[in-house]
Amino acid sequence: MSTASAGLAKKLGYNDVRVYLDGEPEWAKANLPTYSTTDFIVNGNVVLIDTRSTANAIAGRIMGAYSVPYHMLEDKLDDVPRNAPIVLYGDEDVIMDALADVREEGFNFVSLVDGGYEGWVKAKGKTEKGPIYNTEIKWVRILGKGEVSVADFRKVASGEDKNAIIVDARTKEEVAELGIFKNTINIPLDEIPNRLNELPKDKKIYVHCSTGARADMAYEELIKNGFDAKFLLLNIKDAECDCEIIRP
Amino acid sequence: MKPLRLIPVCLMLALLAGGCAGTKTVEKTQSLAATETVQKQEPLIYEGEVTGFSERAQSISIAIGKGEQAKVMMVKFDTTTTGLSQVAKGKAVSIAYEMRGNDAFATDVQLKLAKLPAGTTEIKTPELEKLITTQSPLFLVDSRPTARYGQSHLPGAHSIPVPLLEEKQAGVLPENKDIPLVFYCGGPT
Repeated sequence: MSTASAGLAKKLGYNDVRVYLDGEPEWAKANLPTYSTTDFIVNGNVVLIDTRSTANAIAGRIMGAYSVPYHMLEDKLDDVPRNAPIVLYGDEDVIMDALADVREEGFNFVSLVDGGYEGWVKAKGKTEKGPIYNTEIKWVRILGKGEVSVADFRKVASGEDKNAIIVDARTKEEVAELGIFKNTINIPLDEIPNRLNELPKDKKIYVHCSTGARADMAYEELIKNGFDAKFLLLNIKDAECDCEIIRP
Repeated sequence: MKPLRLIPVCLMLALLAGGCAGTKTVEKTQSLAATETVQKQEPLIYEGEVTGFSERAQSISIAIGKGEQAKVMMVKFDTTTTGLSQVAKGKAVSIAYEMRGNDAFATDVQLKLAKLPAGTTEIKTPELEKLITTQSPLFLVDSRPTARYGQSHLPGAHSIPVPLLEEKQAGVLPENKDIPLVFYCGGPT
């Protein structure tokens, strides 16, 4: 992408055009700061964390921020899903350390508030003050394109929703070993292109596999062929799944 | 059912011929459905971003083409396929494949590394960091979609996704054509 733009800029007559090929991932890996936009912080389903002292957070913090003083950060983040976007702000002398720590904890999306709390106030962002009640960090992923919610999936597996069917895209061997959900047919991912005629066009089709990777691929294949499909992005061993299994 | 299965493949080739993705094999592939001899002359190619990779199902799915014409194709692989270790979701790759019956089988997978356009040079992290921290004259451009910029961008970067630059051209760039421009995105592939 960056090369296409750079080539265009060159054609437009710019004399000094360079490309940072390594890009944003390398920049973050080098423990250099990256920032989120105000819009993303407010609307992006983020975990926003104020790493300053509790007293400072009580005196004034960004609207919706969790107060987690820097020394408590690792503990508090333990149970937060690693794909949650984390946005941090705090005292200048430790915020880069906090950023490095959180990135090291395995979080994939970590960035800072540009200018910290002061920068936010100056940019007239919304703030709040007073006692802090939300101490446990809660984060729920918003469903992505093509994903079915676990609740909807469960309704079909249980037989409550008859307007959809479930396709299990795992291999025959996996099904033979681990069992299969109720109201489900097993069509391994690689057989789907040749077995489309076994699937109904007038019903929704929910695809699952073991983690969601193959289900996503199967979903794309079904959509391409005009089926009303969705996929479950969940490790089916996760307690959240809670669907009855017909054991082999 | 069988003849129908060929339709997506043919469509795909029509897209290739239109120049959306790779064009290397266009002449050879138009009669893909026809005979095996044609298929063996030169490998067929899919170029695009990997959208899925499953070792267990031995399949790669790859998004090819752009915008409304974008399509996700599924390619199988086996133990003879080379270059698989580089395959991961999100990577830009070129997959050479052959048809075995109705199935596309990958024979070789190559990462597509970005090439620098003529007249431009690469900048590495330390030098860019220095330009940014010393507040040197610089116009830094994030070429990724706005959502990616929103989540995480370099200090002082301007969000100009590729389609926006294509549309507005110099209108979204500085007036001074001597100011150093640096473009970045999500990595070299």
